[in-house]
Amino acid sequence: MKHACKEISRLASDSLDRKLGLWEKLKFRMHLFICVNCRNCDNNLKLIRNALDLIEKTKYGQARLSDVQRDQLHQTLKKNTGC
Amino acid sequence: MTQAMLHSFQIHTHARYFRLATHQTFWQSRIVNSDPHLWLKDHGDYLYRYALSRLHNEDLASDMLQETLLAGWRGFENFAGQSSIRTWLVGILKHKIIDHIRLDIRNRKLAESVENDPTSAYFNENGSWSEAPSAWQDNPEELCQSEQFHAVLESCIGKLPEKQQIVFRMRDITGDDSDTICKSCDMTSTHLHVLLHRARLALRMCLQWNWFGEGSRS
Ligand SMILES: [Zn+2]
Repeated sequence: MKHACKEISRLASDSLDRKLGLWEKLKFRMHLFICVNCRNCDNNLKLIRNALDLIEKTKYGQARLSDVQRDQLHQTLKKNTGC
Repeated sequence: MTQAMLHSFQIHTHARYFRLATHQTFWQSRIVNSDPHLWLKDHGDYLYRYALSRLHNEDLASDMLQETLLAGWRGFENFAGQSSIRTWLVGILKHKIIDHIRLDIRNRKLAESVENDPTSAYFNENGSWSEAPSAWQDNPEELCQSEQFHAVLESCIGKLPEKQQIVFRMRDITGDDSDTICKSCDMTSTHLHVLLHRARLALRMCLQWNWFGEGSRS
């Protein structure tokens, strides 16, 4: 049974966000087996997700409060909590 | 004794030990952790990173952190000690960020209809690809190092309709779960999945043309 690539691309996207149901998974796997285009699309989407994940980690992984921000926060806390 | 009875007995015993353990941390954390200055010192950077990666704005992230610390101080009675103080503070911050994003979306009146499916453009009438996706050779580690790729990626994401951008960034960049995003954006999970599908296919196409495709980097 050949399912339309459009429908399969939706499953490829959904599989990044939720667990596919049994029937969906079967349909998805079987289609990828016979369709190189959808296989490529699925891999492309995964590559984008993984690259973004790495980029994000390097971008914000090192972020720290600046001394100025930290001082301001301490002052605001003091003013509002009295301690 | 049957297997099932034995199993339930084990669970009950386990639960009792667990309650005992949290009871102890409950008192310890009360004594150690009620000073917001100490929270700032121990968890400030962590909470700041959490906020910054979701709000992409340093001043806003710092404001959210401030509100969180104050709310934590005012509501310290509600800290039940079942979790660490950091987890508890993250929970407060998370809600503040959700509220902020929700308000922001409402104020800007961002809407996107579910009808008029833009992904139809990538497919023929029988549902097959109108332009075949190719295999991409690069790996994430190399891509991550390339400033050029960052620029292309950012410009491709920037071209997405605004609501798609928001949910895509929350899901694939920040890594928030679907539930959090649905709450922030007042939408059903089905609607969210529709938007993410659109965003990802558009982004895939944009990268195919501007980065991975033949001759795109010559
Ligand atoms: Zn296909």
